[in-house]
Formats: sequence, structure tokens, C-alpha cells
Amino acid sequence: MNIPILSAAVIIFLSIMTGLMYLGSRKTKTDNDFLVAGRSMHPWIMALSYGAAFISTSAIVGFGGAAGLFGFSLLWLTVLTIFIGIFIAFALFGPRIRRMSCNLGSETFPSFLGARYQSSALTAYAGMLIFLLMPAYTGAILIGGGRFLYDALGIPYTTGLLLFAVIVAAYVMSGGLRGVMYTDAFFAVVMLLGMSTLLFATYSAVGGIIPGHSGLSAISNLVPATLIEQGHRGWTAMPAFGSRIWWIVVSTMVLGVGIGVLAQPQLTMRFMTIKQPRSLYQAILVGGIFIFFMTGTAFIIGPLSNLYFYQTQGKIAIQVAEGNIDRIIPIFVSQIMPDWFLYFFMLTLLAAAISTLSSLIHVQGTAFARDLVENLGINKLLPGASTRFWAKLGIIFSIISAVTLAFILPPGVIARATAFWFGICAAAFLPTLTAALYWPAATKAGALASTITGSIVSGFGYIFLQEQGAVAVGLVSRLLGRTTLLPFPWTHIEPLIYSLPAATIVLVAVSLLTQRPMAKHLEDTFKKVA
Amino acid sequence: MLGMQDLWISAAWLLSIGSAVGCVVYGALNWHYESEEE
Repeated sequence: MNIPILSAAVIIFLSIMTGLMYLGSRKTKTDNDFLVAGRSMHPWIMALSYGAAFISTSAIVGFGGAAGLFGFSLLWLTVLTIFIGIFIAFALFGPRIRRMSCNLGSETFPSFLGARYQSSALTAYAGMLIFLLMPAYTGAILIGGGRFLYDALGIPYTTGLLLFAVIVAAYVMSGGLRGVMYTDAFFAVVMLLGMSTLLFATYSAVGGIIPGHSGLSAISNLVPATLIEQGHRGWTAMPAFGSRIWWIVVSTMVLGVGIGVLAQPQLTMRFMTIKQPRSLYQAILVGGIFIFFMTGTAFIIGPLSNLYFYQTQGKIAIQVAEGNIDRIIPIFVSQIMPDWFLYFFMLTLLAAAISTLSSLIHVQGTAFARDLVENLGINKLLPGASTRFWAKLGIIFSIISAVTLAFILPPGVIARATAFWFGICAAAFLPTLTAALYWPAATKAGALASTITGSIVSGFGYIFLQEQGAVAVGLVSRLLGRTTLLPFPWTHIEPLIYSLPAATIVLVAVSLLTQRPMAKHLEDTFKKVA
Repeated sequence: MLGMQDLWISAAWLLSIGSAVGCVVYGALNWHYESEEE
């Protein structure tokens, strides 16, 4: 490693980041600026920020590593994230969220839901879910960043992890959402350059597109017997239908994340920041390209790393990574690319980690301030303290929780922790959010019951049914002496598969049984929306 | 097809590129909305 080159690259990177953050902080004068960037963002900046916040080291290192183990089947997640996460989110949800949040004067995701359904309890519950459960996802992102710094550059894991945490907390507190989005846009460009270069370099290293795919198909006999028993049929084939790996790939990774993206608070609130609702159509162009080069690259290079490692070392990826899938992408990149690119890729992953981390920390801070402290009247304990003061306090709490979890969570957890958060969000928020935008007859009681049902059924699934969660928590084994409550396939089904329908049914049933919202409220809420 | 063992994988590979291209076309066709005042 060439220390002067690396130092120069990091200094330039941090200088640009600091400059953009300073620009953001100069323009952040009101709570509205801090919370929703003054509702004046350009659609391109919004799209790049949305993409950078969505794509973290989890997507690149964690899911890319999972693709190295399971194969090209994860490309279905790319299809879903572009179609649902970009097209449906930007063309159908985004313009309505922007207009409606303006009509209701909402500046956070929980307060938007609460104002739409006239329920401060819903605001508090959604805020609590974000503040208490999001640190698991945040911790996973910290792990991804720290892991890459250790594997590629030899920076001690603990040092790298703490460095991320301190930098992000400091800059989110100073620049608010405006600063976060400016730096996100810069990070997105760095990520786009890094990942597109990597995609072309990988195909070039394995002899081209079709020769690379064919070569990988030809070594399907190298798949370990333990994986074949679980349904693995080679890296260029779907897992056997209904097998353990099929359930993990299709339900947890593809559907869990692909659907969950639509109800992510840190992404949804970006729609509130744009100037013109319909300019989101333009943002689709930028978002589609960005997400393709992020997830598409990760899910293509992961499987192809098996061919490269086999040709150069006679081993497949999981063997080279010594069983830890989170190490596949960092090791592959450090072997396939020249040194100069390694520095650039380090910046790419640094950008991915910081951009997602900053968005999550900002959302947790604002949920703490607006949706918990102010909504529940706790701010009266400290008269005169501003929203920004409470948000900064929330940011400090959030970063401490995330760092603590990052040290506790086991190795190989990045992709699973990401899927956990996306699954919880989809079950708890998606029916409520969709009805908020498209079904005026949805009621306060229906929305609250649906959100609670979605989160509880999901939580129950992770603690009692899904094998990995149940083993980690250990409650079932203490109570019943076995690992999970029910046998396979429940052990490998993503809880979203049953919690999302349950939450949807509860929303519809309770709304039909309870009193319809006041006509005046609906008229004000849906003004210029339909 | 495309050197893959399975048509489902070939379809995913093609659709991931196709959906990104679709976003570009849709964004380009609706470009004019950016400048419209509400």
C-alpha cells in the first residue's frame, strides 16, 4: 500500500465532503432546512442522494458476497429494486408524498403518517420503531465499512468502525439534511465511477460476458456438497424450488429487500425535499442508471469471483474468504484490480457507508426529536430547547447504539441485518403508507392496527420462526428445547411473506369497521394530490 | 442462453438491464415536467 497516494486521495475526498457540508450548513437556518432541506432540492440531487442512501456497503459487500455464495439468482433483486425502488417509488409514491406532506405540514416520515391519519399515537409508534430498531441496520453498515478497511488496507477494524461513526455524527449534526444530500450526491458520483469500472474490469478478467457466464456454468460441479443438499444448483442457475437456499434468496433477499425499499423512512422522506413534485419523473432517469450499476455490479461480480478465484487459485470464493461471505468482495477487488483502483474503491465503499449511515442517523435523530420528544411533550422538561437540539441529541444516541451493536453482531450478518430492517419496514409501514396515499377511506384505527400488527408479526417471525433469528435470540431453545417453533420451511421463510399480508388484511378490515375520516380533513390532505 | 444454466437467470440478467433502460426512456419522455411551476 502506497501511503502518500492513499493519504492524498483521502484528504481530497474529505476536503470535498467538508466543503459540501459547509455549503449545506450555511444554507441550514431553520428547522425546515434541517429536517427536509427547505423543500427546494433539484431532482437530480434528490435521485443521487436517494440512491446513495439506499446503496450501502451492505448492498455492495454483504449482498455482493451473498451473490458470491448463491449465484446470479440475486439479480432478481436488481430487477425489483429498479422497478419498485425507483419506478414505482418515484412515479407513483413520490409525487403524492411530496404534495401531501406539504398539505399536512409534515417534516418526518412518522409525522407524515400521523398527520394523514390524525393520530399522534401512530407518529409515536412509528418513531419508536425507527429509533429502536434502525440501529441494527445502522450497525450492519458500520460493520461493512470497517471490514473493508481491515481487509483491503489493513486499518484495524475497531479504528475504522469508530472513524466512520465519529465523521458521520459530526457532519450530520452540522449540515442537516441539506448537507447530507449535497454530500450524498458527490458520493453517488464516486460510487457510480467505482462500480461501473469494476463491472467492466470483472467481465474483462473472465474473458467477456458470455465466456464468463459459460465458464462459471462449467464449474458448477465445484459447489460444496453441503450447499447442494440445501438446493444450490450452480451459480448460473436458480436454487431448487422450495429448498432452503431458494427460500433465503427469494423470500429474504429478493422480496424482503425489493419490496421493503418502498417503505424505508430515510428514502421516503427524500421525496419531501424536492421543489416540484412532477420533477421526480426526471429523477427516474438518474435513479435507474445508478441502481443498476450499484446492485447489478455487486450481483454480477459476486458470482464471477468464483470463476476468477478458481482460475487463479483453484478455489471457489467462499473457500478463499474462509467461510465469511462478507469478505468475498473485498478480497476479490484487492486481487483483481491495480493498486490505484483499490484506493478509489476504498473511497467508493467509504462513500457508500457514509451516505447511508448519515441518512439513517439523520432519520433517527429527527424521529427522536419530532416524533418522540415533541410529539409526547417531553420537550417541556427543557423549555427553550429547539428541534435541532433534540435532533442532535437523538443523533448521538443513535450512533452510540449502532457502534455498540456493530461490536455485538456476529460475522456474516450484513445482508441478514439489512433484510431484517427492510422486512420490518415493509410489514409495518407499507400498507399504511400505500393507503395513506391511495385510499382516503383508510382510518386512524386501521392504520394503527396495521402498523402494530405488521411489526409484531414480523418480530414474532424473527424471534420464534426464522432459524437464524431464533438461534441468535435463543428464546425458543430456552422455552422449548429446540431451535425454532415450527419446522422447515417456516425456518427459512422471510417473515415479510406472512406479516405483510396480515398487516394489509388488518388495515382493510379495521378501516371498514371504523368511522371514515372527516371529509374536510381528507379534502385538505388530498388537495392537488389526485 | 447467455451462457447461463437456467433461463430464469438469463431473464433476470436481461431484465435488470432492460429495467434500467426503461427508466432512462421514461425519464427522457417526461423531462419537461422539471421546469413546470405548480
